[in-house]
Amino acid sequence: MKNESRLKLFSISITLLLSIFIISIITCISMKVNPNTLLSVIVSKEILFAIKLSLVTSIISTLMCIAISIPASYALARYNLFGKTLITTIVDLPLALPPLVIGVGLLLLFGTTSFGNYLSDIGLQFVFTPLGIIIAQFTVNISFMLRIMRSTFEGISPRYEYVAQTLGCTPLQAFLKTTLPMAKNGLMAGGIITWSKGIGEFGAALMIAGATRMKTETLPISLFLNMSSGDLDLAMASAFILIIISIVSLYIFERRGNMANLY
Amino acid sequence: MIRIENVSKDLGEFKLNDVTLHINEGEYCIILGPTGAGKTILIETIAGIYHPDCGEIFLGGINVTDVSPKDRSISMVYQDYMLFPHLTVEENVGFGLRLKKIAKNDIKKEVNKITDLLGVSHLLNRYPDTLSGGEKQRIAIARAVITKPKVLLLDEPLSALDTRTTWRLQEELKKMHRLTKTTTIHVTHSFEEAFSLGDRIAVMKDGKIIQVGVPDDIFRKPNSEFIADFVGVENIFRGKSVVHNDISEVHTDEICIVSSTLKSGDVAASIRPEDIFISKTEFESSARNSFVGKIIRIKSMGALTKIEVDVGAPFVVALTKQSFENMEFVCGNRVYIAFKASAVHLF
Repeated sequence: MKNESRLKLFSISITLLLSIFIISIITCISMKVNPNTLLSVIVSKEILFAIKLSLVTSIISTLMCIAISIPASYALARYNLFGKTLITTIVDLPLALPPLVIGVGLLLLFGTTSFGNYLSDIGLQFVFTPLGIIIAQFTVNISFMLRIMRSTFEGISPRYEYVAQTLGCTPLQAFLKTTLPMAKNGLMAGGIITWSKGIGEFGAALMIAGATRMKTETLPISLFLNMSSGDLDLAMASAFILIIISIVSLYIFERRGNMANLY
Repeated sequence: MIRIENVSKDLGEFKLNDVTLHINEGEYCIILGPTGAGKTILIETIAGIYHPDCGEIFLGGINVTDVSPKDRSISMVYQDYMLFPHLTVEENVGFGLRLKKIAKNDIKKEVNKITDLLGVSHLLNRYPDTLSGGEKQRIAIARAVITKPKVLLLDEPLSALDTRTTWRLQEELKKMHRLTKTTTIHVTHSFEEAFSLGDRIAVMKDGKIIQVGVPDDIFRKPNSEFIADFVGVENIFRGKSVVHNDISEVHTDEICIVSSTLKSGDVAASIRPEDIFISKTEFESSARNSFVGKIIRIKSMGALTKIEVDVGAPFVVALTKQSFENMEFVCGNRVYIAFKASAVHLF
């Protein structure tokens, strides 16, 4: 009995300490934010640019993640592919790779190969451009979205589609009319968390898109540039916006995520 | 109507092994077998969900082996209903008709008609999550039959329901089949369901069909030890039951059996062999059922001996070895058998 209560005390203390540690980090940033200057800083040209670029790139990369992860995760969840374990490991790899390494890889792929040159020739210039930010966010986050969607699809019996097929659907229609709407919560949860991770993406984007003021300056890049140049008000404004986005999306994720495997 | 010719399919865990089965137009065919026998793959293959590794499937004389499920005019109902949770009952039932691009008003009419028939028309605006098992299964059946399929496939449709709901739905399935005459294949592991609903029964084991026949044949003349064990019931009779004075009288073609289970209409009656008394002289007991007949076979089964007695209908009586030896029965003996009304189970 005594041992059990010691374990209880110990584990709860650790949890509380961890919470205090995290709260301290956020409080420190919030304390540095001057409410009087925050508003004027947020509407400054540079921060507005960073907000806009972050929103545009993260929304596009999230849509790309959704568009690719739906068919890919469906295939992994439903079909017995040859070499499925190997393919699964490969597509999960970006989860484990440091974003900086992904960024270097992207830089080499798009900057030094004939494939990259070809894309550049037809007008798709990824190196040191906002397009680079999008592809960086996409590459870092796709595995994450894929895993959420795969477990969502695995949780939905294929028999819904079988029934729909006997009632007159093609396999694609059956998927669109049953499994996909039933995966709505997983899709929302995955989309929100991917978007929030995308908006905070720094390492990979830094490598391929660089950190150029008013060109490839997303919120995290702006935070980095302004910290380096000692412009604390601007840096804290970026940090504060990123914190708000994270808290809101985490809240939505928790609410939706709990419902993701309802069926 | 449906001809399944030498169909094999290997899905790893489950498989079909050279299945051949012919089902007649309008027939109610039961596929009976234990869990893992391959019953579900068989009907999913008939529906076109799986393409057979070899063999062919004919529907009304046409080879449909390569026809996609949507063009086969075969509907399917699963044990766990598979109602689309994001659609209302009305949208679920009308699903098949909407795909056929039928006018909204006509869909509504058809939905009302079929849900009225199945007694679920008051649930049209509800979502499946809020319904009971029996309601869900009625709606799944409504969704399947509304498209007027040539063949209805039912995969353990009654297995997830409580006994009373099962009984009632069984009656409704019978009624619906009488009304629509839709060729039906019903998969089950319950011999009661099989006996009560099936025009014919196909018994499956390890991906193979091991016996096909009318229920009486399957139960009385099982062609293997496995089927005899699996159906596990002897003394099973079909007949019409009339209830009066708190008892049921079941009239079969040959005899009349009295039961204390109250159920009228088409029923099956079963009596366990060990509940039947047997004697060379006439009984003077309170047992409501007594018959006279002739011993036609004696089978020793270790501690038990089973005696088959023909009283117009064949009965199997079980005796301990000891009492069998005391009574000195031999084949051809004229004997009396008797059992209580409470020993007769109706279903």
